[in-house]
Amino acid sequence: MTEASVIETSAPAEGVTETLNREAVERAAAQEPTWLAERRAHAWDVYERTPLPSTKLEEWRYTDVRRLLDLDALTPAPRPEAGTGEALLEGLDGLPAGLRAVMAEDREAAGHVAIVDGCVRHVDLSDELARQGIVLTSLARAVQLHPELLEEHLATHAVPPEEGKFQALNAALWADGVFLYVPAGASLDLPVRVSRWLSGGGLAVFSRTLIVAEAGARVSFVDEIVSDDLDAQSLESSVVEVIARDGAQVQYVSLQRLGHRAFYQAAQRTLAGRDATLDTLNVSLGASVARVDLNARLLGPGANSDMLGLYFGDGDQHFDHNTSQDHEAPNAHSDLLYKGALDGHAHAVFRGIIRVHEGAQGTDAYQTNRNLILSEHARADSLPNLEIEADDVRCSHGATVGQLDQETLFYLMSRGIPQQPAERLVVMGFLGEVLSRLPLGGVVDKVTRAIEVKLRHG
Amino acid sequence: MAEWVAAADLTRCPPGNMLGVEVEGHPILLANVDGDVYAVEDRCSHEDYPLSDGELEGTEVECIYHGARFDVCSGRATCLPAIRPVKTYEVDVRDGTIYVRLGD
Amino acid sequence: MPQNEVIEGLGLDEYKYGFVDEEQHVFRTRPGLDEEIVRQISAQKEEPEWMLEFRLKALKIYESKPMPTWGGDLSELEDTLDQIYFYVRPSERMGTSWDEVPENIKRTYERLGIPEAEQKVLAGLGAQYESEMVYHSLKEEWEAQGVIFDSIEDGLRKHPELFRKYFATVVPPGDNKFAALNSAVWSGGSFVYIPPGVELDTPLQAYFRVNQERMGQFERTLIIADENSRAHYIEGCTAPVYSTESFHSGVIEIVVLPGAHFRYTTIQNWSNNMYNLVTQRALVHRGAAMEWLDGNLGSKLTMKYPSCYLVGEGAHGSILSIAYAGDGQHQDTGGKVVHAAPNTSSTIVSKSISKGHGRSSYRGLCKVYEGAVNSRSNVECDALLINETSRTDTYPYIEIEEKRASVGHEATVSKVGDEQLFYLMSRGMSEEEAMALIVRGFIEPIAKELPLEYAVELNKLIELEMEGSVG
Repeated sequence: MTEASVIETSAPAEGVTETLNREAVERAAAQEPTWLAERRAHAWDVYERTPLPSTKLEEWRYTDVRRLLDLDALTPAPRPEAGTGEALLEGLDGLPAGLRAVMAEDREAAGHVAIVDGCVRHVDLSDELARQGIVLTSLARAVQLHPELLEEHLATHAVPPEEGKFQALNAALWADGVFLYVPAGASLDLPVRVSRWLSGGGLAVFSRTLIVAEAGARVSFVDEIVSDDLDAQSLESSVVEVIARDGAQVQYVSLQRLGHRAFYQAAQRTLAGRDATLDTLNVSLGASVARVDLNARLLGPGANSDMLGLYFGDGDQHFDHNTSQDHEAPNAHSDLLYKGALDGHAHAVFRGIIRVHEGAQGTDAYQTNRNLILSEHARADSLPNLEIEADDVRCSHGATVGQLDQETLFYLMSRGIPQQPAERLVVMGFLGEVLSRLPLGGVVDKVTRAIEVKLRHG
Repeated sequence: MAEWVAAADLTRCPPGNMLGVEVEGHPILLANVDGDVYAVEDRCSHEDYPLSDGELEGTEVECIYHGARFDVCSGRATCLPAIRPVKTYEVDVRDGTIYVRLGD
Repeated sequence: MPQNEVIEGLGLDEYKYGFVDEEQHVFRTRPGLDEEIVRQISAQKEEPEWMLEFRLKALKIYESKPMPTWGGDLSELEDTLDQIYFYVRPSERMGTSWDEVPENIKRTYERLGIPEAEQKVLAGLGAQYESEMVYHSLKEEWEAQGVIFDSIEDGLRKHPELFRKYFATVVPPGDNKFAALNSAVWSGGSFVYIPPGVELDTPLQAYFRVNQERMGQFERTLIIADENSRAHYIEGCTAPVYSTESFHSGVIEIVVLPGAHFRYTTIQNWSNNMYNLVTQRALVHRGAAMEWLDGNLGSKLTMKYPSCYLVGEGAHGSILSIAYAGDGQHQDTGGKVVHAAPNTSSTIVSKSISKGHGRSSYRGLCKVYEGAVNSRSNVECDALLINETSRTDTYPYIEIEEKRASVGHEATVSKVGDEQLFYLMSRGMSEEEAMALIVRGFIEPIAKELPLEYAVELNKLIELEMEGSVG
């Protein structure tokens, strides 16, 4: 019996369904260049042989995917039609009203991308920026226009399929996404804004973002995803790869405001070169389940990453943030601050690790996770880890879980502010610290408003 | 008030034995102690593993994963590392069938 | 026969009759472990039937559980376990010759100024008869108050009901693979009962009891502190304990009943061929307090996480731990606190030092169940790195289900600062002296909680360890 037939006769691999299967991968690759088709096929192989994460795995200990996600009930969202290259610039009028409302606030931008169910429906970038060699386009189009750059960076050294089950699935089945390329020395004063919309239940959406900032380039990127409450579960899978070459400065902000029943899964990796600055902010407010993996690799001496996170959960929301700070070069600096508040039956997990690799002398690395529990039934788990293999380092971490600062609350009430607004003020003050450290235009307002809505309903 | 739901045939859970069943999505452990059938949640209060993988000794079920024990009559934890009780369910045996009441 | 070889091999006549009890039947099981060996152990100890059954069941659990894949590297342990003797009568275990004790350990004893007789005890060569008198007078005093302080074997024999009521209720065999192993083959250890309201000023020292049954490879200790009692138990010592055995797996169970206050101090310094895998846990009732003071030096790998299960209102748990990982050693230690009742409080303070290729890891759990209102917990971990090749890790688990709880965890990692060193050296100290001073300062907050003689020895030991750490 040949090896292949052994595989055929064995039980189907975990996570292979009526619609998520090798045929779907082959369809996705049908009109693509060979390198990409092979990459998808390889990713699918990895997916098939990787078991679905179970809570016996340390990194999934508190998030039971087997219970929380029903892959069998999902159908991949339709792919962009072949040859839509020029049809991309469709007017904003055709977009869902919810998405238009989000975009209406984002006038101040270097460029916009609108995405519905993972497919890019609109892109704009000023002519002046385009003349500097800056590229902002859909990933599907970038495959045709910039094959060398994609072949080098897409699902290779940032988020290869071997990273995990979801990373492999995304690499095999991604439909579309965003490609941003900033050449050496180019600089964008305003952020690039991506607005995503998820239109309904029963969908599996696989989308990727690839950002390459060459030496000395400067760019900020705001990635927002929104939906209404869904009538059935949908999976929104997002892979984000951010590469900052020597001396580049990149800010990546993710703002997640999906509706009820959405299962949001994001795998983000940032690679920071010599003296590069690569800051991130993850805001998790929506979705029933949100699992965000963020790995910051500090690859060049003097690299710097600020990693900020904010979450507010209520109802039965489940958030799981899994971060890592890999110091692989000397004299780099990273500072992580994740803060969250939990109301209702919400459950938040923060797991973070600082790894100081051998030889990474002169490392400064910090990690702080603070949680506020606002209701009787909310739960917070915090696992801040350190693994240090160099001695000349400054490293520390801290984690707290507690209730509202009663003294501040009493002070506000003694000044005549009623209890509920006073509580809102204290919560906003607590979470506001995160936003104040990366105050990109518009984001602070949006997040503040969204949290206030949640607090009123709570 | 919740309805009685058939959980299993009595023959599947003879005296001195236990049986893990799923009733309307709830994992339930049936335990037959000298002819009296008891039902508790089939999930250890320590780390959520199924108690039905363990062993019944007298009125106590022992979790095979970390040695925690529970009294199947009261749901009470009787040995570390479990501290909290497991949920109990009302049981009725009629015409050779075990019925449980899921509660509200 | 081994017995004769041992005596001849010693060449130290004064110890010839000092450690081999001619009237005692020498017994040890063959290497490896199976049901027959467990039966032999139980038969040797003339145990009641229920204990034999308990051991046999534990053996099955041990065999069914996989090796842990977390913590330290246990990949070579399986081979070690095939070769060791799971039960050796104490007289036999002492059958090592002074010549076999490694030079570096002998040197350490001398440098520490440990009396010769005591050196032999530490090296597994004999029992410390001098201490027996001290022990006996204290024992009479304790007995008058109703305190039981016996070997675990005597505890089972003389106090069967009390023993059975609490034995294995805090650490069941199924808890983990090594608790199961210990449950199957346990031998040696203490049985302690402090009656209600009794307060002991003098610590109960396992050290005094060495002549009864030396602390074994699979020691098992059961302590019950009855209501409103107060006591302190000390075991181990700072000087290195040499043993030809390479595996130690103890289980320590402590029940602290309402209002009682119990402190358990242990300092262990195993030789660096030792796997030291210990489960020690306390069940702390209403208004009671438990304090673990845990020092781990030496060994190849130590995995040990003293725990406090706070199950009664107002219970308090405290864990102070020092770990020192020298070259080639891995200390995987920490603590667990579980808050399951209102108004419970806990603190964990952990200090670790890694030198050379040493690695120290803090692994801890702080869990607050829903309903444990107004619980407070604070964890502080500090790691000091001596060399470029030293390593440290911190793995805390914080699980909070209760709104009205306050939990904090902080950890820092640092190396000995050049400025500090230069300053001290400018005051005439050698670099090594300066290093030792800084390390002593680092562990001082915990060392000051130790009984004086332990603190003094610990300080001396650090001086020795810092030699050759620089340059």
